[in-house]
Amino acid sequence: MTGILGIGAFGSSRRNWSVARFLYYGLLALQHRGQEAVYIITADGDLHEAGGEGPVDYTLVKGVDDIPGYAGIGIVSPAEGISIHGDVALAGDGAPFLTGGWTSLTSKLSSLLNSSSPIDASVKILDEVPGAYSFIALTSDGTLMIARDPSGLRPLEVGSLGFDMGAVASESSALEVMGMKHVANVEPGEVVVMDGYSVEKAKVTRAGERSRLCSFEYVYMARHDSIMDWLPVYRVRVRIGEVLAEEAPAEADAVIGVPETAVPIAAGYSKASGIPLEIGFASTGRRTRTAIKGSGIDRLIGVQLKLNPVEAAVEDRDVVLVDDSVVRGTTLRNVVWALKRNGARRVHVRIGSPPLRAPCPYNSSIPEPDELIGSSLSEDQIAEVVGADSLRFLSLDGLIRSIGVPMDSLCLRCWGVRG
Amino acid sequence: MGGEGMKILVVGGGSREHAIAEAIARSSSTPRIFSVSENRNPGIRRIVEESGGEYALAPISDPGKVAELASRWGVEIAVIGPEEPGFHGVADSLRDEDVAVVGAVRKLAVMEMSKAEMRRMQWRNGVPGRLLFKTYHSFEEAMDDLRSQPDAPTWTQNVALKPARQAGGKGVKVIEDGQAYLHREKAEFKVKHAEWIDRYISGYGDLEERILVEEKVWGPEYTLQCFSDGYTISCGPLVQDNKNAFEHCMGPETGGMGSYAGPGPLLPFITREEYDRSVEIVKKMVDAVQRESGERYVGFVAGQMMLTELEGPTLIEMYSRLGDPEGVNLLALLETDFVDLLEAMIDGKLSSVELKFSEEATVVKALAPKGYPDDRRAAGGHPIMADEGAMTLDGCKLYWGSVHEEDGLYTTGSRAAEILAFGSNLPEASEIAERCTGAIRLLDGWGLYHRSDIGSKHMLERMDELADRARALYKYREERGTLGKRKDWIPGLGLVDPAQELERRLRG
Ligand SMILES: Nc1ncnc2c1ncn2[C@@H]1O[C@H](COP(=O)(O)OP(=O)(O)OP(=O)(O)O)[C@@H](O)[C@H]1O
Repeated sequence: MTGILGIGAFGSSRRNWSVARFLYYGLLALQHRGQEAVYIITADGDLHEAGGEGPVDYTLVKGVDDIPGYAGIGIVSPAEGISIHGDVALAGDGAPFLTGGWTSLTSKLSSLLNSSSPIDASVKILDEVPGAYSFIALTSDGTLMIARDPSGLRPLEVGSLGFDMGAVASESSALEVMGMKHVANVEPGEVVVMDGYSVEKAKVTRAGERSRLCSFEYVYMARHDSIMDWLPVYRVRVRIGEVLAEEAPAEADAVIGVPETAVPIAAGYSKASGIPLEIGFASTGRRTRTAIKGSGIDRLIGVQLKLNPVEAAVEDRDVVLVDDSVVRGTTLRNVVWALKRNGARRVHVRIGSPPLRAPCPYNSSIPEPDELIGSSLSEDQIAEVVGADSLRFLSLDGLIRSIGVPMDSLCLRCWGVRG
Repeated sequence: MGGEGMKILVVGGGSREHAIAEAIARSSSTPRIFSVSENRNPGIRRIVEESGGEYALAPISDPGKVAELASRWGVEIAVIGPEEPGFHGVADSLRDEDVAVVGAVRKLAVMEMSKAEMRRMQWRNGVPGRLLFKTYHSFEEAMDDLRSQPDAPTWTQNVALKPARQAGGKGVKVIEDGQAYLHREKAEFKVKHAEWIDRYISGYGDLEERILVEEKVWGPEYTLQCFSDGYTISCGPLVQDNKNAFEHCMGPETGGMGSYAGPGPLLPFITREEYDRSVEIVKKMVDAVQRESGERYVGFVAGQMMLTELEGPTLIEMYSRLGDPEGVNLLALLETDFVDLLEAMIDGKLSSVELKFSEEATVVKALAPKGYPDDRRAAGGHPIMADEGAMTLDGCKLYWGSVHEEDGLYTTGSRAAEILAFGSNLPEASEIAERCTGAIRLLDGWGLYHRSDIGSKHMLERMDELADRARALYKYREERGTLGKRKDWIPGLGLVDPAQELERRLRG
């Protein structure tokens, strides 16, 4: 997974703005989408680059104030950085199906720009490169080329700051953290070029392809304060909890959610079941995404720091433990054990999504099936493995109902639905 | 051909003036129409020719020039379109030549020309819908305030930073400083912008005050346009203009990229009560400026309003003219004979005229060459062409704006044309206008842009949402008696009412 971001100031006063800090804070708000590396590039006639491996506030904190530029792009990513070719820098999310990946896409764009306008060049990329991806490219004169391919699988949202700046980011929450108003989405197949004096748009379609939303974004990836493609993530998650309470009721005294993603799901479960919501955990240190961490030991460190149980919330109680998804069961096993150690009598695990069954071809950091506990074991078997008294997943139908859009406008591939 | 009726002069050469000339030409009294403008507007020229009038190119803000033309032609009524001639006393000099003028004389136009004076007048006279403000004579004087820390009283942080003078829809920046971690960037920007305003306004050379800092408010905006005869004020349907250059309310401030009105006198998200309150505000402002200047207000007047959580209908700015493009909506909907109306304004008999407006929805979309508003040189000089036949077939009307006719038709750097469409509802009118934008283009391949979202269903939904939020809050304030009340707590000073502070300052 990846988070990308681009920002540019408008008009004759644009040189009065410097965007580096906006990028820094915007990327901080996208940190949950990629923790291994962070890069930014700004433009003020020249391109200026900063970043490296590590989290945003560690890697970028020094020197960001000294980076000039009235336009810029940034990326947080587990693997890839910003590709640069000639005068073009590009931050991409997703998977362009092209030998050489983002590097070749960037050089292709760069050579197209020799003979075509930014809008035509970007359209050509979407026309010619299949896959599922979004990108934000920047040239040294501050022109931003923004594109979301017709599959619509990689999100991009648009923000505006008064009469002065425009921005795009993988999630709306990053725009808000930059002090911007979230005004729209970049539509599937849409290309937007912002050059400081104009905003131009074009639309690309691919024969036979209709756009779909990535359901995993709503379940797990996005922050719950984000609104993506006009759907508030928070509302979807609360709804998931409500549906889960209908589909998989439990006798219990308290509902607790695994922070942070599953907390709104737990709130929905509590609301629909009437079982009180308790705050079951306190976290230590920076927020980490345990499902997408690199090695096994890193994941465990992440879980244990993130999830210190609150004894008084669970002691002598039957507890419904709500989590968003199960990848390997590591998190769960640890948490269930810790809850019981802190006095919980029964632990009923409820998962706010169906079992993960397949990796994501578009780079969502979901592992291969033999690393997915839900792809081979039954609910009862998993309950036994993680030490819970019961375990239930949300049904596929329940997930679709919770998101509230027709099944054929969703990508459900990681839950084992082809198409 | 040619009218036998009165000789009427229209001052100004933009889309609004094209619409004014057209409204005059529609009159049953078959007036002869004369025009003076700085660009030769083909739409106005055609109307002038068909009515048997004359067209002259001259600096329209030069009172002597305009008065001389008027008396040479022997015009009986002059209608002033834009604001600058009013600021420069063109109405005054026409009046001196015994021409009946519909347009504010200089002392009245001050209400628009000086945004600072407008606010002072509002506070002095207790007119509701007020905002906190502060003025500065130079950017050095403003610097400390603009840099003040994010924990200063809130209104000094979230501000509109404006030229103290009306500067042709240019130079306003709305800056929210709601993130302490971005304070440095915003403070630096404000200071640099204030420096620019200082230089820019000194270029006009007619105001001591240069910089205005005003409390930032939020909510849906709308314009209330009215006719005044000095005794009565009659207002038309509400219109919403859209200032950002680009779609989704993004991009630099423009003179207005498109406007919509109707169906009926209200906008879908403004109530009758809010309309009435807005009329009250505009009336009181006109009363105040008449009282303070001793002049009779004969002309157009408008309040650019915002529905705020602070006070409901709130005055952002006064116009001593019709809005552009809002005036195009208003005149398109007007069913009363426009010349009768002009005469009633002049004669002080507005109360006896029944103002009638069509109930239809209208959408106006402005078309501007790429480069507008910030690089007008790049936006100017492009050959432009419109297929007016196709537009008429599609049900649209074209109003030429910033173009000049001389061996062909060329853009002059601002909004080149406005397209008007009618519909039974706004999205329908918006779609019709959208279709018609295809019938106009620049012949050299340079980009001509417009906003496709003006009056769209999506835009209306957003406005609805915004209005509901603001309304729920101001209604609650009303219930609790805290409408328009602000409180600050300043360490060391304690509880202060910034409005009282301001009033004390104004009393000196
Ligand atoms: N106090 C305020 N709070 C919030 N927004 C504001 C405020 N003042 C101005 N604005 C915004 O800035 C825009 C332009 O402001 P204003 O009307 O004062 O400037 P102008 O340049 O004179 O515009 P016009 O072209 O209408 O004459 C307004 O339409 C509004 O969107």
